[in-house]
Amino acid sequence: MSRRSLGELSSYLLEGRLSQRGCINGRRLSSRTVPIWPFLRPPYALRHLHAQPEAAAAAAATNTTTTTATLTAPQAGHVPLRKQLKEQAKQAKKQGKKKAKGDSQTADGWELTVGIEIHAQLNTSRKLFSPAATSFNDDPNSHVALFDVAMPGSQPLFQKETLIPAIRAALALNCEIQPVSRFDRKHYFWWDQPSGYQITQFYEPFAKKGHITLLARDGIAAEDGESVTVGIKQVQLEQDTAKTLAQAGSVHWLDFNRVGVPLIEIITEPEIHHPRTAAVFVRKIQLLLNTVDSCVSGMETGGLRADVNVSVRRTDDPSKKLGTRTEIKNLSTIKAVEDAIIAERDRQIQQLEAGGVIAGETRGWTVGSKETRRLRGKEGEVDYRYMPDPDLAPLVIGSDLVQHLQTSLAVLPDTELDKLVDYYGLTAKDALSLITLDNGARVQYFYRVLALLESKLQAEPDISELPEVKSYATLAGNWILHELGRLTTYKAGPLASGDLSFTQLGECAQVPEEDLSQLLYHLHRKHITGKVAKELLMAVSLGELEGGILEAIESNDLWFKEIPQQEYEALAEAAAEGEDKMLEEFADEDKYPRGKLMYLVGKMMRLGPTERIDPATAEKTMKVWIERYHGRGEAAQLFDLK
Amino acid sequence: MTAALVRRRALTHTRWNANHNRSIGQLPLRRSQSTFNHFVASTKLQPVSPPPQLRPDAKPFRLAVKDNITTEGFPTQCASGILGQHASPFEATIVRQLRARGASIVGKTNMDEFGMGSHSTHSVHGPVRNPLAATDEDVSAGGSSGGSAVAVAVGDADVALGTDTGGSVRLPAAYTGIVGYKPSYGMLSRFGVVPYANSLDTVGLLARDVEPIRSLVFDTGLYEEHDPNDPTSLRLATRQRCSKACSPNLPDLSQLTIGIPVEYNIAELDPSIREAWVATASVLESQGARIVPVSLPSTKEALCAYYILAPAEASSNLAKYDGVRYGIRGSEGDAVGETLYSETRGAGFGAEVKRRILLGTYSLSSEAMDNYFIQAQRIRRLIQRDFDRVFKLDNPLYEPRQFDLSEMSSDTALEDKQGPVQVDFLLSPTAPTYPPKLSEIQKRSSVDVYMNDVLTVPASLAGLPAVSVPVKVDRSHQFPVGIQLIAQYWDDRRLLALADKVMKLMMD
Repeated sequence: MSRRSLGELSSYLLEGRLSQRGCINGRRLSSRTVPIWPFLRPPYALRHLHAQPEAAAAAAATNTTTTTATLTAPQAGHVPLRKQLKEQAKQAKKQGKKKAKGDSQTADGWELTVGIEIHAQLNTSRKLFSPAATSFNDDPNSHVALFDVAMPGSQPLFQKETLIPAIRAALALNCEIQPVSRFDRKHYFWWDQPSGYQITQFYEPFAKKGHITLLARDGIAAEDGESVTVGIKQVQLEQDTAKTLAQAGSVHWLDFNRVGVPLIEIITEPEIHHPRTAAVFVRKIQLLLNTVDSCVSGMETGGLRADVNVSVRRTDDPSKKLGTRTEIKNLSTIKAVEDAIIAERDRQIQQLEAGGVIAGETRGWTVGSKETRRLRGKEGEVDYRYMPDPDLAPLVIGSDLVQHLQTSLAVLPDTELDKLVDYYGLTAKDALSLITLDNGARVQYFYRVLALLESKLQAEPDISELPEVKSYATLAGNWILHELGRLTTYKAGPLASGDLSFTQLGECAQVPEEDLSQLLYHLHRKHITGKVAKELLMAVSLGELEGGILEAIESNDLWFKEIPQQEYEALAEAAAEGEDKMLEEFADEDKYPRGKLMYLVGKMMRLGPTERIDPATAEKTMKVWIERYHGRGEAAQLFDLK
Repeated sequence: MTAALVRRRALTHTRWNANHNRSIGQLPLRRSQSTFNHFVASTKLQPVSPPPQLRPDAKPFRLAVKDNITTEGFPTQCASGILGQHASPFEATIVRQLRARGASIVGKTNMDEFGMGSHSTHSVHGPVRNPLAATDEDVSAGGSSGGSAVAVAVGDADVALGTDTGGSVRLPAAYTGIVGYKPSYGMLSRFGVVPYANSLDTVGLLARDVEPIRSLVFDTGLYEEHDPNDPTSLRLATRQRCSKACSPNLPDLSQLTIGIPVEYNIAELDPSIREAWVATASVLESQGARIVPVSLPSTKEALCAYYILAPAEASSNLAKYDGVRYGIRGSEGDAVGETLYSETRGAGFGAEVKRRILLGTYSLSSEAMDNYFIQAQRIRRLIQRDFDRVFKLDNPLYEPRQFDLSEMSSDTALEDKQGPVQVDFLLSPTAPTYPPKLSEIQKRSSVDVYMNDVLTVPASLAGLPAVSVPVKVDRSHQFPVGIQLIAQYWDDRRLLALADKVMKLMMD
C-alpha cells in the first residue's frame, strides 16, 4: 500500500490529533534498545529531539488506537477513503511495474552528480585519545576513561596504534599519506558529544588525493561502461560519539563505551553520476576496508555509514557548473544509498522543471520510503567553529611506517578477483561472491579445501601429472558456493541445519575442509557420482557421518561402477531407436540442437543401469553415434574415447 | 608585612593550621566568610585513592590550591556555579607531586571563575579582598589566583598553587606583595588543571620568598618530571636538551645584561610604579649589571591577540559544561523548542565567563575566523620572535633563527655590526597600576579591566618563564610594587636566582 500523507490520515483518524511528524520515526525512537544514533546525529537531529515527545506520543497513540480506528471507520461511513487507498495502491503498483529499477539510472536531459562521505569505525583495541578499550556489545559504560566523558582537567592522549588501520585504509584507497597532519575541534552541542566538540582533521587530514576504480563486474551502472574511477579527496581521523539508547517516554540512556572510538571519514570528489555506481562504491569501500583489516564491522552493525551529496544539471547546460547540492545524511544500507539518490535526483529535477530552485540543505532518508525529507536548511546550519586543538601536537607519520604498511598490505579484492578468474577459472560472479561472503572467510575456506584437494590428487598413483588447476578449482568453487549454499535452504524438519559459520581463517565446523576435499577428490576422479556426493555432503553437515567420507562410501558401497564403453554405445543405439525424426535435426552441422542431444542422453541414462552411468561419457558417446549416423566419420575421430 | 596587616590578622584569624586535619565533614564556614574571602568553603570529601608515597627528601609545608586544580578530598568548582560541588574523581599531577614532597593541603582558594579575570571578583563565592588594604577599604587582590596569593600573604599557607594564563599568578602576587612565578610552558603538568586556554595555561607557584619556589621546582627535581597524562608536558629528552642549552648558575651581576623593554613604558603606567622600575634598574646597574633598552615592537598587539586567543580556546573548553555528566543542571528539559543546554549554561556561568564565551564563539565563527583568530595567531608568532631576537640564549625549542636587520624598526640602536645588543633577562613592572578598589573596578568597562594584563600577556603568549617580585621603593606607599622578570624559554633556574637577588636588594 502506498503511503498516505500524514495530514490526510490525521484528519481522518483520531480527530486530527495524529502527529504530522511521522510515526515511523516515532516508533523507532520509542522502541527499546534500538540504537538510534544514525537517526539522531546532530545537528539536524535537533528536529528529532524537539519532535521526539510528540512523535513518541503519536507512536503510542497509533499503536493503541489502530484497532479502534478500523472498528469505527466503517461505522463512520468513511468507505470512500478505503477505496481511495486501494485505488492508489493499484496505481502505485502499476507505476512500479512500468519503471523497473534498471531504468532509473538515468534521467533524460539531466546529469546527476554525487559525492560521498563514508564514516567507518577503525579496527583498533584503544580509543583515539584515551587508553580505554573499544568494544562492541560490552556492558554499557564499562570502557570509559576520564577524557571520554570530558572530565574537567583531563586531557587527550593520542593512541598511536590507531594509525595502523587508518593508514592501511588510506593506502587501500591509493591515497598520499601526509607526513604532517593536525587535529581540529568541530563544535556543536549534543548529548552524545561530551566535550561539546568532536576532534577531527578538518584543515590538514592525514591522507589526500586517492582513488578507487570500480569495474563492470562490481556491478556499476551499465552507463558507466567497463570501469569508472572515483577520486578520494581526503581521509581523516576522528572520534565517534556516545551511543544513545532510547527508552520509553522521553528518556534516553547514554552508553559512553563508543565515545572516542576512532573513525575514518572518507570524502570523495563529486565524480559519480549514477545511483547504482554510488551504491557499488560504498559496497566496495566496505569490502576494501575489510580486506585490509581497517574496519571489520559493516553497515549492518553500524560500523560504517554514508552521507551523500546530490546535485543535478541539464545535460545541455553549456556553463557546466554543478547544480546546488543537497546532502542526505546517515544512509545505513547499501540499498538506501541507491534509493535515496534516485529519490533525491527525481525530486530536484521535478523542482527545477517546475521552475523552482534547489535550496542547499540537509535531508534525511528513512529505509523503505520513496522520498527524502528536509531536515534543516542553510539557516539552520551550525557553524562548527573549527579550531586547532591546542592540547594535541601535530601528527607526524614517518615514511618508514608507511612503507612497511604498504608492503604488508593484504591483497586487495581486485587482485584476488583477477586471480580467481584467470588462474582458477571461476566466473567473475562466483569469484565476487566467494570474496564477499562471510566477511572474506568463505574464500579462505576455498583455499583450504583446494590445498587439501590438490595434495590428494598429487598423491594419486594412477595419474602421472596433476590435472589442470581450473578443472578441480571450478569444481571446488562451485561446491563451496552453490552446494554449501543449498545446505541451508531447509529451515525446518529433519534436514534443517543451522547457518554455516566460518572463522576468519576459513575454518568451518559443520563441513570440515578435510571431508569436503575428500568428497571432491572422489567426485573429480569419478569414483562417486554427483548425486552420491551431494548426499554425503548433506550427511556431513548434519553430523551423521561417523567414520568419515571414505568409510561411508565403503560401508554403503557407494563407489561409482561405470559400465564399459561398449555398453554406452549399445545404450546410444537403443536410445536413438525410433527417434529418426529427431536425428534428422542434426543434419545441418552448423545448427547443432543441443536440447535434442540432451534429450537423447537422458533417454540413455533411463535405459541403462542406475548409478553406473557418467553423464559426460554418455553425452560424448551419443554425439559420436549421431556423427556416425550422419556419415561424418572424420569428425567422430575428433572425439577421444580412450 | 605591614603592622596593620599583622594586627588585623591577629584579630580575625585563628591559625588555619589548627583545623586542616579535621576529619571528613563540613569545614568551618569561617573560611569563606573570613575577611579576605580567600578560601572556598566546601565539604571535605573522602579521598578516593591513597596519598602518594612521601619522598625521602620531603619536608612538611602547607599548600593552598587554586580551586581550578583537582584535589583529593576537596570539591573542584573553579568558582563557578556550573560545577556545583563537583568532586573530581582524580587528583592533578602537580598536587600529587607536591604532596609527595611534603605538602598538606590547607584548602582550595577563591579565584575568578575558570580563571577569567584580573581581580578575583568574578566568583560565585564573592570577591577576594586584598589584606594589604586599610581596614575600611575593599581593594583588589589581583586575579585570577587572588585567593592563592592572599592565603600566602596572610600566612595561611607556605606555598600556593595558582594558574597563570595571561598573568593570573604574577598579577595577584604583585598586588599582595609576594612572589608569583609562571614557569616555562610545558614544564609543570597541567593534568588536573581545568583548562581556560590550554595553549597559554601554566601552573604557577606563589610564596613570600623566591627560595621555597626555587627549592621545590629545582632541588626536588620537579622541573625534570614528564607527565605522560599531559600531552603538552615536555618529554624527558626535550627537557634534557633544553636544560643543556641553559646554564644552571646565575653569574655575577657584572656578567649580566638586563633589557628594559621600551614598549612596556606605557602612558597608563602609574608614575610611582615607573619610579620603582627605574630604581630597580639603577640598583642592578650599581651592582655591575648592564642595563640596556630593548625593543619588542609587537608588544602593542599582544593584548588584543591575547583577548582573541584566550576566549576562543575558552569557548571551546567550556562547551563541555552541559550538566549531563557532572555539575548542576536546570529543572527544565532541553527538548521544548529551546537551544540545547541553554538553561543550564545560562544559569551556571557568571557574566564574565559568558562574555568571554561569546567573544570566543564569535572570533571562531566562519565569518570572523580569518580576521580575528588567524590574525591573532600570527601576532603570537611575531611576539615570540621579538623575544627570541632580544635574548642572548636561543630558544631551545627551535632551530637557531637568523634575524634580518631590515625587519627591525629603524630606530633600534645597534650594538655592533652583529646587530643590536642581546640580553639575559627583561625587567618590567608586573602591573601598570597599584591594586584598585573593588568599587572602582565595578565602574570600569571590561576593556579597561583587560588593560591591566598588558604587561603580563606577552610572556604568556610566548610561553616564557616570568616571575613577579615585590619591590618597596616609596616607603610611604601602602602597597609594594610588583616587578616582573622575563627569561628565555627554560631559563627558569637563573630567572628565579635573579628574582631572589632583586628582591633582597630592593626589600632591605
